[in-house]
Amino acid sequence: MLPFTSSGSKVVPRHHVSGYSNGYPRGNTFEISPHRFTPRGTTPISRRRKRLFVRLGIVAAILFLFGLITWNGGSVLSVLSLGLLSSSDGFQLETVRYYDLSNVQGTARGWEREERILLCVPLRDAESHLGMFFSHLKNFTYPHNLIDLAFLVSDSKDRTLDVLTESLEEIQNDADENQHFGEISIIEKDFGQIVNQDVESRHGFAAQAPRRKLMARARNWLLSAALRPYHSWVYWRDVDVETAPFTILEDLMRHNKDVIVPNVWRPLPDWLGGEQPYDLNSWQESETALALADTLDEDAVIVEGYAEYATWRPHLAYLRDPYGDPDMEMEIDGVGGVSILAKARVFRYGAHFPAFSFEKHAETEGFGKMAKKMQFSVVGLPHYTIWHLYEPSVDDIKHMEQMEKERLAKEAEEKEKAEKSKKIKEEFGDATGQWEQDKTKLQNIALQAKKEKEAAEKKTEDQPAAAAQAPAQGQQKVEEKQGGAKT
Amino acid sequence: MARPLGPVRLKKASPVTLAIGAVFCILVLYFLIGSSAPDFSASRKASAASHPLSPPTSPFRKSTGGGKPKAPPVAHYNLNNVTITSDPLGNRENILLLTPMARFYQQYWDNLLKLSYPHELITLGFILPKTKEGNAATTELQKQIAKTQKSGPEKDRFKSIIILRQDFDPPLQSQDEAERHKIQNQKVRRAAMAKARNSLLFTTLGPATSWVLWLDADVIETPASLIQDLARHNKPVIAPNCFQRFYNTEKKAMDERPYDFNNWQDSPTAVELAKKMGPDDILLEGYADMATYRALMAYMHKADGLRQETVPLDGVGGAALLVKADVHRDGAMFPPFSFYHLIETEGFAKMAKRLGWQPFGLPNYKVYHYNE
Repeated sequence: MLPFTSSGSKVVPRHHVSGYSNGYPRGNTFEISPHRFTPRGTTPISRRRKRLFVRLGIVAAILFLFGLITWNGGSVLSVLSLGLLSSSDGFQLETVRYYDLSNVQGTARGWEREERILLCVPLRDAESHLGMFFSHLKNFTYPHNLIDLAFLVSDSKDRTLDVLTESLEEIQNDADENQHFGEISIIEKDFGQIVNQDVESRHGFAAQAPRRKLMARARNWLLSAALRPYHSWVYWRDVDVETAPFTILEDLMRHNKDVIVPNVWRPLPDWLGGEQPYDLNSWQESETALALADTLDEDAVIVEGYAEYATWRPHLAYLRDPYGDPDMEMEIDGVGGVSILAKARVFRYGAHFPAFSFEKHAETEGFGKMAKKMQFSVVGLPHYTIWHLYEPSVDDIKHMEQMEKERLAKEAEEKEKAEKSKKIKEEFGDATGQWEQDKTKLQNIALQAKKEKEAAEKKTEDQPAAAAQAPAQGQQKVEEKQGGAKT
Repeated sequence: MARPLGPVRLKKASPVTLAIGAVFCILVLYFLIGSSAPDFSASRKASAASHPLSPPTSPFRKSTGGGKPKAPPVAHYNLNNVTITSDPLGNRENILLLTPMARFYQQYWDNLLKLSYPHELITLGFILPKTKEGNAATTELQKQIAKTQKSGPEKDRFKSIIILRQDFDPPLQSQDEAERHKIQNQKVRRAAMAKARNSLLFTTLGPATSWVLWLDADVIETPASLIQDLARHNKPVIAPNCFQRFYNTEKKAMDERPYDFNNWQDSPTAVELAKKMGPDDILLEGYADMATYRALMAYMHKADGLRQETVPLDGVGGAALLVKADVHRDGAMFPPFSFYHLIETEGFAKMAKRLGWQPFGLPNYKVYHYNE
């Protein structure tokens, strides 16, 4: 459309055309066209040298930087990737940690403030209980990611460690992220076993002091290896708890005490009364016990629940009322170790499970004493009960064997009796059925006789002798049968 | 059109512009690489924990990428394999160096850096009160830590460092020496000190530590081979003798005098004194109105004595103290209450003895306390 675009196939540079845009052709005027290509002449030698220097300078700077970084311990790769890929070939290390302990004091509603709990579980030859324990663990309502688990496996001869590892890995790989727990530590340490773990040797009186001291060491090793500056609470739990509320952590935490324990009972077979107090280590101190303690030597350990030491202490376990208020609190001095919730502060300040005789007590009872000494509140809940697994003692087993024997004997006797009566019945038959049969037969006969009589009456004159004969025959038969049954 | 359009030729860049550009490029490059954390050798990386929820005695991998954090792994620690021997260097045993700190002294930090034990096996733990002084000390400490851990040479960098802030107020605001040493203030002060020590110890001990070295923040001079020298004796608890350098105006020269009186052997007098005390009273050392006649290690020092000479002790001080981690794991802590009429470090010695661990002292092996 424009005049210059229609000028055939020859494309004329625009500015040349526009040079004539005023309509007047220019004459042979002098023209400097800055836009026309002119071959470059040779650059002056001075500028070339300068450029060379600049290039050399850049190369030197890059080499210097490269050298600086690689010399400082960095890899060549990280330089080439400009530091962006440094995460792919390795990772960055954080070596400094900062914690303010006043942020981890522990409050009544810890789950809302994201307070971390350390759950400590001492284990020894506990393979058979692990399944039950993990079912409890999975059901805890306290947010799992806030619970750190620590296990101490000591002197175990069964597959405790393998089963434990498998179960934990299964939980951490669960598709449901809410199941995942926080830090998980499995600590192995053998102390050399002094006492067997079976029920009888575990609960014998003579074995108590060394056994409790050893248990205390195990607990201390576990705690000192697993307690971190970010823990607000520590929860001690035995694996052999059979029944406990899923909300136990929150329930105990709500009381906001430094150390708190529930009541621990155990179910029993019916012949033993159905249920029984189990954990006798939670008690209040008594004057008798204090006086007793003064008479004992430095290394003696008072253990509760044995006739050898009559302490007359009020036990948490015996104060249980099944219909009592589960929130009721009771001040105690010794605590049992089945299920203890304590503020981490208690352990941070130094309270632990004495593996020596501390005021004539060791392990959890000594812990209660020590916490008291450090002015912490130590509380038990008499009407909030959890149930320990029932493991029959040797006596119980004997008794049960005896009972089993009696039961078998009784069964055999009954069987014999039944057989005897069966035999009698077979030998002499059953009279009752026969009676009925005979009765109907008799009635039939009587009926027939009646009919016959009637018929006979009709033809009295015809056959009077035959009608009189028939009833007499039937009566004879009945008499025969009766005689048989009597004998 | 005012200006004719055409192929615009770039203006010739001047060498100055090019140089500035190059400098900028280098700067960008530098910050891209330099902004990342300091790199560590492979052996250090291998010992790092893979999750932030891990024992604080080892460094952990910082999560670099986004995405959801993975569930923490199931970690195994076999404490049967943690050795505690007289040759910690040969067995590459981990040291936990613990310091309750109220004031920061540059000489203390410089002395730490001079320790000849491999720093990659040393974890430092500090606990500081949340007071004005404590805040100032924390700032100073963090400055020095950043300098060492981020930009210092790798051999100077420690394995891991934990800084804790106390969750209780110190009973005395003043750290004045005169005020601090008043006898009636001692029990409260030392109970608070014991709590601080226990808080630091039990949250940092972890499953890998072989030895715990207690070193007060005002111990400013020790031999560089302190750890090796103390561990060589293979004692459950061992304390060097703590002295103080001062300017002796009589001699008109620098001199030294014994400083820590908490290292002692018990005396019958002290035992008798203790018997007469109430259950919560404590016996203190170094006070004229409570003469205990205990044998103090501070005075057992002989100028020509052997440095390796050891003596059994019944009470120890905390200025410098090397403890086998097992002693602490068994439960030996610093009682914040009267334990056999003893408190804090002295009570610790008693508790260690109750657990069957005998403390020892090195009367002729000296470390030096700051002079206020």
